[in-house]
Amino acid sequence: MDPKEVVEHLVALKVMRLTKPAFISPKIVTCDSKDLPGNILNNYLKDDATSVTQMETLAAGQFLLLPQSFGNIYLGETFSCYVCVHNETSQPVQSVSIKADLQTSSQRILLTTQQNSPKMLDVDETLSDVIHHEVKDLGTHILVCEVTYMSNYNTLASFRKFFKFEVMKPLDVKTKFYNAESDDVYLEAQVQNITSGPIVLEQVSLESSQQFTVNSLNEISNGVSVFGDVTLLQPQESCQYLYYLTPKENISKEIKLLAAAKNIGKLDIVWRSNLGEKGRLQTSQLQRMAPEYGDIRVTFERLPSKACVDEPFYFTCKIANASERTLDLILKLRSHQNSSLLWCGISNRKLGPLEPGKSIVVKLTALPINAGLHSITGLTLVDLFLKRTYDYDDLASIYAY
Amino acid sequence: MDNKPTLSQYFSDTDAPPASQFFDEIGTSPSDMIQSIYLGETEGASTANLFPQNITGSFTQHKMTDELNFSNVIPTVSASAALPATSLPDPSTFFDTIGPEPTIGGKSGIASPNVLVEAMDGLSIKNQPVDKEADRRRDAWMPNDEAKKTLMKAQSSPKGSFFPEREVLTMPGLVLEEELPDALQEVSVKYLGVSSAGSRGVVRAEHVSRDEAGLRELLRTGYLRAALNLSAVLISAAGQGVGKLHRPSKHTPRSLQLWLTRFAVMVRIQLHEPLAKEAEAFGDCSQPDMFYQFYPDAYETRTGSLVPFSLRLLLAELPGHLGKPDEAMNKLYAMLDIIQRMLANLRMGKTEDGEGTLSSEQDKSESIRLWSGRETRVLHSIVNCAIAIKDYRQAGRILTSLQQAATTPVQRRALSSALCRLWLLAGHVKAAVACLEDAREARHHICPTPDVREYVDLGLIDIAHDKYQDAYNNFARAADQEPTNIMVANNLSVCLLYMGRLKEAISVLQKAIHSDPSRGLGEGLLVNLCTLHELESSKANDKKINLLRMLCKHKSDTIPNVLECLKLS
Repeated sequence: MDPKEVVEHLVALKVMRLTKPAFISPKIVTCDSKDLPGNILNNYLKDDATSVTQMETLAAGQFLLLPQSFGNIYLGETFSCYVCVHNETSQPVQSVSIKADLQTSSQRILLTTQQNSPKMLDVDETLSDVIHHEVKDLGTHILVCEVTYMSNYNTLASFRKFFKFEVMKPLDVKTKFYNAESDDVYLEAQVQNITSGPIVLEQVSLESSQQFTVNSLNEISNGVSVFGDVTLLQPQESCQYLYYLTPKENISKEIKLLAAAKNIGKLDIVWRSNLGEKGRLQTSQLQRMAPEYGDIRVTFERLPSKACVDEPFYFTCKIANASERTLDLILKLRSHQNSSLLWCGISNRKLGPLEPGKSIVVKLTALPINAGLHSITGLTLVDLFLKRTYDYDDLASIYAY
Repeated sequence: MDNKPTLSQYFSDTDAPPASQFFDEIGTSPSDMIQSIYLGETEGASTANLFPQNITGSFTQHKMTDELNFSNVIPTVSASAALPATSLPDPSTFFDTIGPEPTIGGKSGIASPNVLVEAMDGLSIKNQPVDKEADRRRDAWMPNDEAKKTLMKAQSSPKGSFFPEREVLTMPGLVLEEELPDALQEVSVKYLGVSSAGSRGVVRAEHVSRDEAGLRELLRTGYLRAALNLSAVLISAAGQGVGKLHRPSKHTPRSLQLWLTRFAVMVRIQLHEPLAKEAEAFGDCSQPDMFYQFYPDAYETRTGSLVPFSLRLLLAELPGHLGKPDEAMNKLYAMLDIIQRMLANLRMGKTEDGEGTLSSEQDKSESIRLWSGRETRVLHSIVNCAIAIKDYRQAGRILTSLQQAATTPVQRRALSSALCRLWLLAGHVKAAVACLEDAREARHHICPTPDVREYVDLGLIDIAHDKYQDAYNNFARAADQEPTNIMVANNLSVCLLYMGRLKEAISVLQKAIHSDPSRGLGEGLLVNLCTLHELESSKANDKKINLLRMLCKHKSDTIPNVLECLKLS
């Protein structure tokens, strides 16, 4: 026998990827009954098995067509395929079995098949299996199918077939963080469709880390999405989601823990495309830039947004020690010459000693003397040990009327 | 009938032709054939006779409407076109039937079903009462401003003194020169040998009369390529054959009906390239010579377009078949705009073009009904374009507005169900489920228990959820109600494959084909069955050849590409 000749095997292996089937519709050509073709073409359409009764002129079909090409596959989707071994001879073939592996650049996955034990294949019989695998790697994948059977010489014969495909990235997720004065964190997540067809974002949710509780700002009161009925994204389109996260109480109390709370959580995205083909991705842990507090963090609390001219208003000032040492501070309140706000109360007050991580709350009173929007200026802290002065002129504003 | 000298010679040789002669020729009355299509138009209308009949006509019609809507026998295509016309089946009911089936317009007086059959078969009926209103309504179209100027000139010029510019003329001609062989026969000669193939199509083509009746016969029997060849013969005889492109020629309602038939066949057998070339000369049918007003000597005060609505629509849809659905969408929207302007005129009691006033309420309601039906038909085409470019938002918007405007449970149901499938296409399963709920609610007004439509939609939703066993069960329930439904059998088979039961999937399809070969041997089912055969074995060719034999036995020349369907190489 010529060694170059391809060995004829007793069984044949066929593999078909099972993407979702498609709907097909007939060619829609209609005529008025008084046109030359009369109703002949209309009757073609009516009799076509792929047309929809009572909606013949609409191409929203119901007749399922099996997949005719491999198509694209994206990370997070499920790869399904039909593996079929057929007895090509006129005699039974003994001990037929199939084994399927999926090889990626990093690993080799054994795909479970229902029938593991070798089986006898009668004439014209098939041994088949449907394989499902959720794709978790990008890049080149090779499906290796190996068929083993008992040859005519009572020895085990086997052959392998390889099917190569590329797994592509379906979505691009861009995130942006804002650390608010109130210790809340705002997260903007832009989800972009980078597949070749339209997709529907079925679910986008933020699973927060241990340190935060999450609030979604993407629904109006009764749970209706702000995007309306359809979160359908054409290729390259994106949707912007907004969340705000509040640090859990045990964390917001301690300025150190707050500064260290970088892990925000993970975005969990479920999308569907053609005929409900589903994909699901979870981002890695999203991390925010930790807020820089310096040695001292000063925040205003309970500050009204507006106040009447010539009537004092009250608010509190929280001073936290974000440094590693105990601080001795002096609080100075100075009303600038041109300022429209006058401080009421004691300046040069001594605060402290303030231990690391601890904070102190001071009540303050000020008097607007002119109408308008005014920055609250003139608050100064002096560190007695380092003889350093910290000015806070820009922390908040108030509207006086 | 066309032994007249070719008129295009006048224009092709000299720049200043004796146009008066040319247009006098056109002035001869439309041929008998057109009268056979349009049920006569020369005799004076017996209006006195018309009215009482129309009144009773509309009375019975109302009763009929309800019957129609509650029986699923009469297929309706466009949502608002479900009502029957008074005397004649109206073009807007796309599927009104001709023959033995209950004829929609048959009961209402003027034309008995028998008359209709004769009319449709091309036997000329000369003594039919003329319905000028029906003609006006059917042919109505608004010329654009440019065309209006020319038409004004044509109408105001003394007889014989109107010389149109070459630029305003529509100058079509055949481009596809070769005669097409019967495609199925060609394939069978190649794969089955000459003896088993026979010479079906050729015989058929030689045995029909070489006129419109023969053309219809070829269409009816499905010898589409033979029909196309005959259309070329007839168009050549009408002076618009090969070589006549870009040369002035004579347009009649008949020549445009021939073009319509030819183009419709070309779309069906997917001869898109030659179709595009031949259709180009027509543009968007807005040249003034496409209007009756262009020929005052021949048609007197008749208004509207010689171009049948179906041809106008086909030409607008054409870029969609050529891979340019965006362009088709623009053309369809332009059509929609004119239709909506005409509807606005009608609602104000004016004629479609806004030039005259409607004589009766009956005329008004009939006209509005016809044009709303055509409006819906155009909207359907727009939705189809949107689906083709996967713009499901757009398609969804239009379908939702149609669904909200639906007046009967049958329409609402059919549209909710269509929306359900649209959202499945888009992958918006939640919306699909909600639409199915709407459809189910409307269905309760039609029948108390789920029908085939509902089970099929349920099955499709199951497929979207990857629940193939559930889908199979739903399709099986549909099959219990309609055991011979090819689509249901096909969907059952597809489910079986996804459930890992290839052999059963194949046998379901084979059974479906054998139970109803003429319907079963359609393109979709053949592609599915051949896909399954190929998956099953590397020796699938014999099975495909068997299918080819069945095709030869049961089908004529309707499948655009037999080789592709059977995956024969």
